[in-house]
Amino acid sequence: MTDSDQHPYVEWIAREAQRPVVTDQAARERIMMAVRAEPVPVRRSRVWARVFEPRSFRVSPVGTTLLAAGLVGIGVIAGKVVNNRDVRPPGGEPSVSVAVQPRLPVSSSVVDTVVKFVFVAPQASKVSVVGDFNGWNATTTPMVRTPNSAVWTVTLPLTTGRHVYSFVVDGSSWIADPAAPLAPDDGFGHASSVRIVGRGSAL
Amino acid sequence: MSDDAADVQRVLAGDVDAYAALVDRYYDRCARFAVRMLGNRDDAEDALQVTFVRAYRALDRYQERDRFSAWLYRILVNQCRSIAARRAHREKVFVREEALLLNAPDRSTSWTGEDEEFVQRVLSELDPLLREAFLLKYIEEMSYEEMSTLTGVGVSALKMRVKRACDRLRERWERIKHD
Amino acid sequence: MIQLPTTVRFRAYRRVSTSLLAVALCLSSARIAATQEPDPLLRLDPSSRFAVDLMLDSANAEHLPTRPLVSRALEGITRKADGKRIVDAVRKELGYLRTARAVLGGVPDDELSAAAAVVEAGAKPAQLAAFRTRHKDRNDLAAFTYWADLITRGVPAEDASSAITKLWQDGADDATFYSLWKSVQSDILQGLNPGAALQNRIRAPSGKTPPDGPQESQSQ
Repeated sequence: MTDSDQHPYVEWIAREAQRPVVTDQAARERIMMAVRAEPVPVRRSRVWARVFEPRSFRVSPVGTTLLAAGLVGIGVIAGKVVNNRDVRPPGGEPSVSVAVQPRLPVSSSVVDTVVKFVFVAPQASKVSVVGDFNGWNATTTPMVRTPNSAVWTVTLPLTTGRHVYSFVVDGSSWIADPAAPLAPDDGFGHASSVRIVGRGSAL
Repeated sequence: MSDDAADVQRVLAGDVDAYAALVDRYYDRCARFAVRMLGNRDDAEDALQVTFVRAYRALDRYQERDRFSAWLYRILVNQCRSIAARRAHREKVFVREEALLLNAPDRSTSWTGEDEEFVQRVLSELDPLLREAFLLKYIEEMSYEEMSTLTGVGVSALKMRVKRACDRLRERWERIKHD
Repeated sequence: MIQLPTTVRFRAYRRVSTSLLAVALCLSSARIAATQEPDPLLRLDPSSRFAVDLMLDSANAEHLPTRPLVSRALEGITRKADGKRIVDAVRKELGYLRTARAVLGGVPDDELSAAAAVVEAGAKPAQLAAFRTRHKDRNDLAAFTYWADLITRGVPAEDASSAITKLWQDGADDATFYSLWKSVQSDILQGLNPGAALQNRIRAPSGKTPPDGPQESQSQ
């Protein structure tokens, strides 16, 4: 107790209370027993670390050709960005088809699957993806516009399972992926999109 | 890297027994807080058991920049609050015989069983939130900033609680003096 | 077709600025994983962070996944929501996870999150109960995902629930759920009332799309 004007009685209480108490070795052992019965904690944020490290991974020959052909990943409805009624694009056909049936083989030793995000935004000057795989950080995963087109893409490795994400246009407009299932409102006034990765069912 | 962070690393790498090093390092200190806070050994041991197991489960969230002790104490403080709340309806659990067993023998100064029984009784009479603030400040010797992060309460509110705790203790002394 | 070597060296985030990458590399070591900053939750005010931490603690104690809770908090931080709103959102998510756990029992984390989303969208928890019977080698991630989506788009919860459940009980695979969802979504975008859009598509026996289904769904 460092307060110089502290009452001596209060100081005395504090000093006495600072004395060590008897502890029981058996109690500590009980703690370790309980701990050993638990599953080993796994650092989940390792997932996020992956996203920042240059990686090499194995993709089967079939997988690589699919990747190269741009058939893996989320499709997009050409035209305006929002879920609006006017879906029919000028050409009459969607510019990129949705790939589901071609199953990307995932070897058991590869935890991550390469996933391509595609988004059509002719008017945007910048687009990025935010989601549970990058801490919803709008600057982490910028998308790249294919030259002379309205198509923005980015490819990244995602772990198997369910992911929630959204596109951010020009730093401020959050738009759900028009070609992916929606998650319910997140509590912040926006319904994000869901991507399921791996297990043979690519959405 | 601190000892704590190194031990956490080892546990996350699969060496569960490395957790014993963390338990050993902090058990006594946490026990002292829990006993002073709750007033009896049984409740304190319950709190400690839950605290260390929960801390283990949450190791995946521990960041090296955090002080492990602050992080552990957050769980401990919360656990003591839960237990205190649960026993709010029970009668005062402070028991004389218990008190005699609480403190470890200290041969360097002469003390009497009556002293620590008395101290524990006095502390137990404080409102739990005041007691908690008093213990964190003067027994654990934390800064107000640390206490704030730990308890989720603002610094000025904590200063007020500590001051009121000291006022109560002083009042009590005045009453004794004049009895 | 472009032929690529079997082992592809792939650099994620080519366009991440050097400085950002340098920071990330500095912060990461073998085991200590860095996010884009040391601890994004630090951006929460202390009291909100404490509240979120307590909930993460409870989730751990109940063997519920914490990743969806942390994700929710981070989303709120990015959207600059105030601390109270973030805490509320995390609390709600924890509630839905608890509900899903109570109904489904021990299912993998992803399915739990997807099931939580179904309840969050508006289905009655009891409607999840049919899925409690675990089928070997099946996972219900797709079923739950499309189910939540349909309700979110405006299909009445009861209708969506019975349609999905029926399909599931008939042994539908992920592709079938996908087809149903895709065609219903497409119809909704064309202007059809969501409830009617669903009814249209499930009228076919066994939940299969009508014989001219594939053509219909492509004709936009």
